[in-house]
Amino acid sequence: MIERLAPEVVNGIVLGSFYAIVAIGLSLIMNLTGTINLAHGSFMTLAGYLAFAIMSRGGSFWVALGGAALLTMVVGVAVERLFIARLYKRIPLYSLLLTFGLSLIAEESFRLIWGPSSVPFAVPTNLQGSTALGNIVLPTYRLVIMGALVIVITALLLFLYRTRLGLRLRGAVQDPDMMAALGTNTRVLYTVNFAVGVLLAAIAGIFAAGLLGLQPTMGNSLLMPAFITVVIGGMGSLIGSIVGGLLIGLTVSITTLYLPAASEIVMYVLMAVVLLVRPRGLFGEAGIFG
Amino acid sequence: MPDEPLLRLDGVDAFYGKSHALRGVSLEVHAGEIVALLGLNGAGKTTTLRTIMGLLPPRAGTIRLRGRRIDGMPAHRVARLGVGYVPEGRRMFANLTAGENLELAERPGGEWSIQRVFERFPKLRELRGRKAGKLSGGEQEMLAIGRALVGSPALLLIDEPSQGLGPIIVTDVYRTLAELRAGGVAILLVEQNALLALRVAERAYVLDDGRVVYAGAGADLARDRARIGTLMGLPSDELPVS
Ligand SMILES: Nc1ncnc2c1ncn2[C@@H]1O[C@H](COP(=O)(O)OP(=O)(O)OP(=O)(O)O)[C@@H](O)[C@H]1O
Ligand SMILES: [Mg+2]
Repeated sequence: MIERLAPEVVNGIVLGSFYAIVAIGLSLIMNLTGTINLAHGSFMTLAGYLAFAIMSRGGSFWVALGGAALLTMVVGVAVERLFIARLYKRIPLYSLLLTFGLSLIAEESFRLIWGPSSVPFAVPTNLQGSTALGNIVLPTYRLVIMGALVIVITALLLFLYRTRLGLRLRGAVQDPDMMAALGTNTRVLYTVNFAVGVLLAAIAGIFAAGLLGLQPTMGNSLLMPAFITVVIGGMGSLIGSIVGGLLIGLTVSITTLYLPAASEIVMYVLMAVVLLVRPRGLFGEAGIFG
Repeated sequence: MPDEPLLRLDGVDAFYGKSHALRGVSLEVHAGEIVALLGLNGAGKTTTLRTIMGLLPPRAGTIRLRGRRIDGMPAHRVARLGVGYVPEGRRMFANLTAGENLELAERPGGEWSIQRVFERFPKLRELRGRKAGKLSGGEQEMLAIGRALVGSPALLLIDEPSQGLGPIIVTDVYRTLAELRAGGVAILLVEQNALLALRVAERAYVLDDGRVVYAGAGADLARDRARIGTLMGLPSDELPVS
């Protein structure tokens, strides 16, 4: 029993951590600027392809991870400066349509450059195979992902709660005008914040490419569960995104084990139930930086 | 220019959409003085401060700080040039601690460090770990003033500091303002409670419907209660008293 359940639980946690990381990025951007970033999945996919390109030129997985994440962040900053920032003063519908358009352009570009089907994204051999913990055997790569995503979340928390810039971001979420009146250039804050969100998406995207396979729609397929994570966890709650992501991941993978036919729909059921009981989501009142 | 004022507005017009909030407002604040900006509800006092601060760009007119044009500048640049803002309702970052409210405004190397603010307001040192939203009105007002001070301003814009506070706390706040002036900080002080502000202000302006309807010495106005009433459009038996 436990031998059969344990891999699914690990699966669920890994999947859930992906949802959580993507959801946190979405939340950061949504909270500070009201932008619903439908291009978030494209940044994940872009990072995957960039990592693939670096590795196929002989770079190691870790070099590809760092390099592709940084390059994607640079692209994110450019997109924010050139396009999204122009719409901050408008109603959110504008940026939603803009980022939707960008995601379509991105997906077709990936198709043009790298082809419509999966590219062979290979994780290094020492991360393949499995690791035995007692009599439970688990895939090594999934354990690596879990470890990496825990490090990423910890780093994000340290950034938000232990640095001056993080403090200013938390302030600006509450009252950007007041932050400006106290001498902070909020435009720079918006860009930094967007870049952090994209960086989280990029890291998730690169790890996901090695797990789910890399094709033009990879990131977008993770985007819907990530939005549901935001809704379940509570709009704007960091802890809510983490708990919500894990909850969805575990529910989906355990359902896959016992009732495979329902595995696609179960997260929507979960969302409906949570919203009926707590309309603002599990941690909706706390506020992301509360 | 021999005697260039610290702050000078000339014919400033400001709008909220189509609604005309300021109509040709001109005023001056000189170094080291407290200037009262009075007027009834909706007269345009807060709008004047927001316009100076760069939070609402003026549609016409000029704003100068030490002779330098600041109209049209973004708020953070106005702040960095030495203008501190203590807004109406205090606008605490309620989810952050009192200490964090100071940290996010601190400009290292300035005249006012957080330590110096703690020396001036020892109470804030005790409260620094407390969420700003949980502080009393008086404590929040002190924190809002401290938060503006850590930017080491030459000019403070203060909007209705007495609002919602008991008389003892109000006296305390006003004593603080007088001390800051003695320390060389100029203050543009917005109040609905005219007589209260006139106790500390050298000069006063009265706004009505976005227009300056009085500009002169504070003492003259304070002596002439009926005049205050007329200027602010109140019947004389409904004078704003301190
Ligand atoms: N955000 C806004 N949008 C539209 N109109 C506004 C806005 N803020 C203020 N106004 C209008 O501008 C005019 C001036 O308002 P302002 O807040 O400057 O007055 P005030 O003198 O500060 O009043 P109070 O003593 O009530 O604070 C008023 O008619 C007000 O209704
Ligand atoms: Mg006002």
